[in-house]
Amino acid sequence: MASFVPTSAETLEEQRLYTQARLIEVACLDCLATVQVKKNSDHQTSIQWTAEAVAACPELCRRSRSGSRDGHRGCPRLLASIDAAVADGVVQIGAQDGY
Amino acid sequence: MSDTAKSDVRSLDHGTTPLRYARGWHCLGLASTFADGKPHAIHGFGTKLVVWQDSTGKLNVLDGYCRHMGGDLTQGEIKGDNIACPFHDWRWGGDGKCKEIPYARRVPLRARTRRYETAVVNGQLLMWNDPEGSAADHDILPPELPEVLTDKYTPWSWHIKEINGSHCRELIDNVADMAHFYYVHFAFPTSFRNIFEGHTATQFMESKGRPDKSEGGYSGEDSTLKSEATYFGPAYMINWLEVDYKGFVTEVILINCHIPTGPDSFTLQYGISVRKPEGLDEKTVNYIAERYTESFGDGFLQDVAIWENKVAVQNPLLCEEDGPVYQLRRWYEQFYTDVAEIKPEMTDRFEFEVDTTRANEFWHAEVAENLANR
Repeated sequence: MASFVPTSAETLEEQRLYTQARLIEVACLDCLATVQVKKNSDHQTSIQWTAEAVAACPELCRRSRSGSRDGHRGCPRLLASIDAAVADGVVQIGAQDGY
Repeated sequence: MSDTAKSDVRSLDHGTTPLRYARGWHCLGLASTFADGKPHAIHGFGTKLVVWQDSTGKLNVLDGYCRHMGGDLTQGEIKGDNIACPFHDWRWGGDGKCKEIPYARRVPLRARTRRYETAVVNGQLLMWNDPEGSAADHDILPPELPEVLTDKYTPWSWHIKEINGSHCRELIDNVADMAHFYYVHFAFPTSFRNIFEGHTATQFMESKGRPDKSEGGYSGEDSTLKSEATYFGPAYMINWLEVDYKGFVTEVILINCHIPTGPDSFTLQYGISVRKPEGLDEKTVNYIAERYTESFGDGFLQDVAIWENKVAVQNPLLCEEDGPVYQLRRWYEQFYTDVAEIKPEMTDRFEFEVDTTRANEFWHAEVAENLANR
């Protein structure tokens, strides 16, 4: 059963825009992880993982086994791969109307 | 007015609030407060709960109303290991079964009430709630904090605040809310990131206090902080803070937890423990701990004033400088969904870094102007 039910169909479309629109696939240059990325500016980055991608990332797997708090930090190899995708023009930097 | 002009106006979608309470571990308070041999009342989950400690030291939680004639067990007495109803002395055990009715030949077989599984973590009593009635998942309990509750840290300073007129999701929204740290808590958030994954949602923030303000735990020119705050499930957050005041760094641990009481009310509880700085006498250490307790407590009150007056919004309108409110709410939805219906995107890892550059440029200019106008 759903909760926090929106009362307007437009709200569902907004949920889609903010969570799914303009995501671009980026494959890690060092492992088999493939994630979806959006960059609204040089400093802003959204990274949407899947369970398969997390399982393919040796860095995140190693950290989750260690159980320590720094497991929360991003994977530096993936971040470098995203930088490369930006440099190649695969990921375009810029926002639409706030999303 | 034409129809076109009308459709340009944005409406707030208030939506409907959930008819259920979140699945997961909820903290009821410091375990020591329940260990006095008396029954305690906790309002939560649309009812009243009774909490008591039995002779083995175990803390028990049952629905607060006797299944006989609805007597209030929280006003009863502990007899042996059981809670006795003040109305007709029916005796209920921590396993939810009626153990004895002193005036009756036998106890009806159907005499079972709702019991809640419990755990004690970091000196706090946690309780498992699940509308589907599943067994408690001990694998997703919040972690034990090393050395807290030893003489290396000050004991928990624990506070309780009832909030009316807001669903507890308002409190959760703060995890993704960069800009409110400037306007509500009077700090410049210089770095702001989120990671949502599984049953956890984390906010990493670095901030510097606003020199034009002095209220609350985040303000003031001489104060900077590094904060890492993780929700473990829907209702229990651990916030690890490194507070730098004039170069003197203190490690503060803040627990922020809540119990939903009704569809638009909840009880906020927060606790603070400070790592005792070495080389200081007990009196100074206690003074520092009290100051931080007071200032972060004031920080919560700054939020409460907003929550109690705002409306619910299902369709927040965001700008580029805002955090991932929609993704955070998608994560939070998992706790209001039957386990079989949890979608992968609710629990899949999601990382978000907010660009704080433009916001801080503007805010520094605004603060400079405020100071110049003094």
